[in-house]
This record gives sequence, structure tokens and C-alpha cells, in this order.
Amino acid sequence: MRPWAFTIFGAVFGFVLSRGRVTDYDTIARMFGFGEFHLFGVIGTAVATAALGFWVLRRAGNRTVRGGAIELSQKPWRAGALWGGLVLGAGWALSGACPGTALVQLGEGKLVALFTVAGILGGTYVYGWLRSEPSTPTVSSRTQEAR
Amino acid sequence: MYESILTTAWPWWVAGPAIGLVVSLLAWVSGKGLGVSTGYGAACAMTSQLSFFKARPFRERWRVWFIVGLPLGGVVASVLAGTFSPTLAYGQLDALTHGSLAAKAGLLFGGGVLIGAGARWAGGCPSGHSIVGIAQGAVSSLVATVGFMIGGIVVFNLLHVVLGG
Repeated sequence: MRPWAFTIFGAVFGFVLSRGRVTDYDTIARMFGFGEFHLFGVIGTAVATAALGFWVLRRAGNRTVRGGAIELSQKPWRAGALWGGLVLGAGWALSGACPGTALVQLGEGKLVALFTVAGILGGTYVYGWLRSEPSTPTVSSRTQEAR
Repeated sequence: MYESILTTAWPWWVAGPAIGLVVSLLAWVSGKGLGVSTGYGAACAMTSQLSFFKARPFRERWRVWFIVGLPLGGVVASVLAGTFSPTLAYGQLDALTHGSLAAKAGLLFGGGVLIGAGARWAGGCPSGHSIVGIAQGAVSSLVATVGFMIGGIVVFNLLHVVLGG
């Protein structure tokens, strides 16, 4: 699939998140404060519909519309799922956003989402830096950089 | 009636199935599993030499193209609703931070850092874990989602106690 087709998918996904009020701080506040059922309903029915969709695709042989393979590998178990999940949840509550909705908010004109997006990029980078092999600048890595 | 679907907020029983449909369609058309936070990692990989970002998912360029579309969807949704007007306002958080832009920026940036690091630690975010992962029946996704909810509920209510909202 061509790159711009993924951008269109991203735009449709962003549009749907916006219409579903998933990008709205007050709606997220009412989820974490148990003031409104809405977001629980959105997440629940999204999971159910996606599960149905994947089931149909599996029954049809896990082939794309043009006959290619569907690369939906199941995420393997990792202990970080719980700890990382708790940390992400804390960030979700503080910022009223998650990785996807922060970018959609930016498009909606909520300019402060720029701070959230910058933070997510920074947090991603710092985690990657902490988990990377310590590298010593060698001749070979310099040649790689030059390429 | 049909116009209002494009211009006004949707009830949960429309929005949820629409999200599930987009995720299924992306899999059917492109063969890819949707996940937003890995896209941030792929963006990091474009400018970083760190070994962490050499892992296969971060080398998939389509993830960057996908997340570039997200703000575009936000613009379209906002313009069609007739509410597009760039603002520094951010709902109830304005009252909670007593109108201080610095406090709001700090909360959002700090929250963002936790989201970015937490997503990589957990191996996904609410899109890749809570929607796609659970729909596939992945145990780690269910556990991560329980983590998202507990972390969110605890910190949200603590924040309100601290800031007195």
C-alpha cells in the first residue's frame, strides 16, 4: 500500500476518535472519575467490533484484499505490560491524552497538545536511550553514520 | 440526519464500532495491525542511532505515515463541526490549574513523558494494546489495559485531591 494511503487511514482514525469525544479532556476526566459511561462504552464496543472483524478475516484465510498476508502477530507476554501500563495510565490522567489522541487534539486546534506530543516523543526517546546497548564510537559505526 | 453524523459528536455505540471497523479495514486492506505509540518510536528511529530503535517495528516507515494523518483527521472533524478555532484552552484542566499556562504545560509535558516511556515499557498504548491486542486475545494487552485504567483512575483522583478540583 502506498504511504499516503496510510495517512488517509490515520486521518479517518483521527476523525472517528474526535467524533467519539475520545480527544476531549472533560470526557476523559469523566471516565477516570466514573462520572459517565461513554468512554467505557466506546472502548468496549471498539474491542468487540475489532474482535469480530479479525475473526472474519481469520475465517477468510488471513489474506488482505489483494491476497497478501495479514501480519497480525499477537503481542507476546512481558512483565512490563503491567508496570508500563500503570505509568502510561498515570500520563493519560495527567494530560488527558494518549499517543493517538494527543496528535488529533493538535489538529482540532487544542494547541497545548503540543506539550503532550513533545513529552511523548521525549519519553519514547529516553526509554530507548536507557534500553540501548552502550555504544563506543568506533570506525565501523562512523562509517555507518556517514552512509 | 445524515449530515449530523459528520458534524456532531457520536454516541458510544456509534464511535466504538467505527473504531473497530477502521482497525479491521486497515488489516484487510494493508495487512497491518494498528498501533500509534510504535509510530512515535518509528519517528525517533528516523533521527536516532540508538540500538533500541533498530528493532523491526521502528523501521516500518508506514507507521510514521499513519500518525501524520491523525492531526489531519482532527482538523477535518473540527472544521466540519464548525468549532475549529485554535486555542490554549483545555477543558476542566483550565480551572484545575487556575489559568496558569505554565502549570498546564508542565502537566501535559510530564504526562506525555510518562505516556511515551510507559508505552514502550508496556509494548503498546490504548490503540495497539486495548483495542487491537485485546481483540486478538493477547494476555499482555489485557494486563496492560488493566494497568492503563488503574494508573489513570488513581492518578486522576490524586490530582484532584492535590489541586482541589
